[in-house]
Amino acid sequence: MAGPSASDVRAALSISNAGPSSSTHPTNAAAIIRKPSLRKPEGMPRELYQLIGPSAPTLTAQFAKPQLKQKPNLGSSAATVDGGVPGRVKWEWRTFTNSARKDGLKLGHWVKAGADPNADYQYAKYNVPLNTFVYSAEEYNRFLQDKEWTKEETDYLFELVREYDGRFYVVGDRYDYPGGSTRSLEDLKDRYYSVCRKLVRNKPWGGDEASKAQLLSSYSFDKEREVTRRRYVASLESRTPQQIAEEEALYVELKRLEQTERRFKKDRDELLRTLLGIESGLPDINPSDEDGLNAAGNLSISVNGVGGLSIDTKRRKKNGGDVDTPMSATSASASAIHISQPPKKQQTAKSIAYDLVNCIVRTDVPTNAGSNKSAHTPAYLRSFKLPTPKAAIAPKIAQLMAELQISHTRLVMPTRANSAKLEELLEAASQLIEQKKLLDKADMDIRMAKARLGNGTSESGEGSAGGGEGKATPGAMEVDEDAEGEHDEHADPNGRGQSVVSARSARGRKPARRSMSISSVDTAGAGNKKRKR
Amino acid sequence: MFSSDEVSALVLDIGTSTLRAGYAGDDTPKAIIPTCYGYTTVDGDVDVPMSEEGEGENAPPKPAKKINMFVGNSGPSVWRRNMEVAYPVKNSLIEDFAPIPALISHAFRDIMRCNPAEHPVLVTEPAWNTATNRERMAEILFEEFDVPAFYIANTGVLNALTLGDEVSQQEREWMALYCAKLVEANAQHILTNPGPNRPGIQLLPHQLIASKQTVDVGTPPRFTLRDDRATGTTDTWRTWYESREVEDWVQSVGGVLDQGWNEQAAVTRGARHYEFPTGYNYYFGPERFGIGEQFFTHSASLAAKNQNLPMPLPSLISQSLAACDQDLRQVLVGNVVLTGGGSLFSGLSDRLASELQRNFPHVKIHAPGNPTERRYGAWLGGSILGSLGTFHQLWISKEEWQEHGRAIVGQRCK
Repeated sequence: MAGPSASDVRAALSISNAGPSSSTHPTNAAAIIRKPSLRKPEGMPRELYQLIGPSAPTLTAQFAKPQLKQKPNLGSSAATVDGGVPGRVKWEWRTFTNSARKDGLKLGHWVKAGADPNADYQYAKYNVPLNTFVYSAEEYNRFLQDKEWTKEETDYLFELVREYDGRFYVVGDRYDYPGGSTRSLEDLKDRYYSVCRKLVRNKPWGGDEASKAQLLSSYSFDKEREVTRRRYVASLESRTPQQIAEEEALYVELKRLEQTERRFKKDRDELLRTLLGIESGLPDINPSDEDGLNAAGNLSISVNGVGGLSIDTKRRKKNGGDVDTPMSATSASASAIHISQPPKKQQTAKSIAYDLVNCIVRTDVPTNAGSNKSAHTPAYLRSFKLPTPKAAIAPKIAQLMAELQISHTRLVMPTRANSAKLEELLEAASQLIEQKKLLDKADMDIRMAKARLGNGTSESGEGSAGGGEGKATPGAMEVDEDAEGEHDEHADPNGRGQSVVSARSARGRKPARRSMSISSVDTAGAGNKKRKR
Repeated sequence: MFSSDEVSALVLDIGTSTLRAGYAGDDTPKAIIPTCYGYTTVDGDVDVPMSEEGEGENAPPKPAKKINMFVGNSGPSVWRRNMEVAYPVKNSLIEDFAPIPALISHAFRDIMRCNPAEHPVLVTEPAWNTATNRERMAEILFEEFDVPAFYIANTGVLNALTLGDEVSQQEREWMALYCAKLVEANAQHILTNPGPNRPGIQLLPHQLIASKQTVDVGTPPRFTLRDDRATGTTDTWRTWYESREVEDWVQSVGGVLDQGWNEQAAVTRGARHYEFPTGYNYYFGPERFGIGEQFFTHSASLAAKNQNLPMPLPSLISQSLAACDQDLRQVLVGNVVLTGGGSLFSGLSDRLASELQRNFPHVKIHAPGNPTERRYGAWLGGSILGSLGTFHQLWISKEEWQEHGRAIVGQRCK
């Protein structure tokens, strides 16, 4: 299809045909544009086309003749070179000589008539001999002397290897040096490869060192190893059916033991998880809530910069008896697994300083706690542990706090000290309210008694409550570093560095946790004293 | 991998029972003739009275007698007065070279109608062929047929080529089947002649029977012999025809159970009908499966009678495996090739597989499903090899033959 002509462009852009070459009217130009699309599609009856017009292009496909695949024009080019009829291939019987042969045997084959008669035989290039090493007598005397081998026999070996293209199985089969001792396949390989190695090492080398080393390694052969391997293969094959059956039975037994062990381990893990939760040190434990807490803790640390939240990871020593009972019933293999405490971290001056700077509080690990369910406390945020007031007095406390403008449910900065202060405050408030209640009750009784006696009025004690509240308020709100330190000291007088898993930092948490996994317990605690179950 | 360049080579595969010849590149041989031949000896003064037979070939005359040789499909099988039948090939090895030129000439010139002097010839040989045998073969082809080029290739390798396998030293596996053919021949005679609940069967060829009547199953046959041929029939011809009859019976009726001998299983397989040339017919029941057992186990009586009995197939295979390198055994066990016409015995491959499975868990048996491929496996391999473009450098040319003599055969064809 020809490209748009100049007049087409002008018509499309509604430019009048001012050019001298163009003589057509603009309307004519428009007609020219439309013309190709108005052509009747091939195969469609003219009457039908006049009826439906060009609006149904899909119809045309049905009327078009099926397009058959073009007949291949076989070798027309070759034929034309030959001057023959295009599209017809001429073949001729031609004799040829094979350059891979040493003699001049002439064989005949059919070739295309146009092919070059002087071309080398196309299959001669596949005649690739094996690249073997050659050595001169002088080289042999200098490098390749071996008391086991004469030069003639070495020559014979190399000749055979060349003849059978390095197929050593065949070489070993056909090897029959007259007058020589019987050689095993390993002997032959060993000799051949050692000669090759020596030649590579001692001959001048054209390439770089790397390729030389690579070549050397390709010729490496360890005879002893090969002999051992063969002996092993032979012994494998010479097993009697009984031995094979026994072996198979043992294998099945082993599989069965492994399976039982796995099942026991699974049961045991399940039990540990139920009893100890995260402290059992097992992977993939309690995926949802505790992890969420930990994440929150880490987040809080990184945001506040004040590590007021220590994650309580008290590891309880297991009460050996009840956990171990299922295991002691298992086979000996199960006993290989034992969970022991990760070693205590040595308290150094450095770590104390570090803890101080990062506001880390280490809690003591209670060693004698029973491993029952209630004893277990997973990690939690300190602020979550604030005592909730009794339901009966909760609204009153809320009212009291509202008066003081303190939100007791959520601290803005829930540091250890602040939490403690808030706790004190809440305690005081609830005590106050309790007192108030008692007072009210006493008042009521008095009033009742007085009413019964017919006496006059009595005084109320309401005013006294306000003073206590006022005192507590400033303490709860202040953030006092010193006070915090004191609290730290107070909370764990001797427990620093003894927590098994401490939230030293967001980064340090992970390895610490991993160290709890069963598999690494033994290695991690190799040098340290372990706590035995 | 293989690309062909056909130089119109001829492929010649001389087996124990048949000789196959054809063009390299074809998928079936053009000429298939029996390897055995018939001959009559006449006194030296009688000058070739038998030459009216078209396929008759005159062998080189011997001092006292003149031998008329009858080869081809209508050679030994046709009754001729005083004609003896001889087998030049035993155990795939050519033992008598005298009729070989006549056989080759018959296949090339009379059946294929081609001039061997124009075509290179590829000949097959068994793995246990001797050096003198192959040199003699080369001599026959170069000197008597004037072929431009010659090559002799191992049947085992050629069979592997047919399968597209390229396992070296596979040849050792094949010995098994060739030997097994003999077991078959031995066993059949023993089993066919005495019947457990039927009379011994007379194995008489069609050509000796003048007329016969239809008889019921299992009843004695009623037939009359041709009196005119009663005297001129030789024992070798009778033996040849009887063994052929037995072979035919084995091929159509015989079989082997796939899981060892089991009377019940054999009964359930059903009986098969067979009619002998005498008109005697019978439904052969479980006994037809007893034949195949000869491949795998030998009865004590048979072993006592014949000291040189070949080993059963599985032990043959394991022994030939033991002769191979340890590293190759695993590969070989995974590529056991079942080939040759004898392997078409019904149920043989299944039984062999189940037998071998016991000793070698990883055994894999390759058996071409196509009977033609199985029968002419070696010839087909030769056909492939002879049409390969890369093979043409290996031919021993006439020039080389004249220059180096016999030694070139051993050097080139290894």
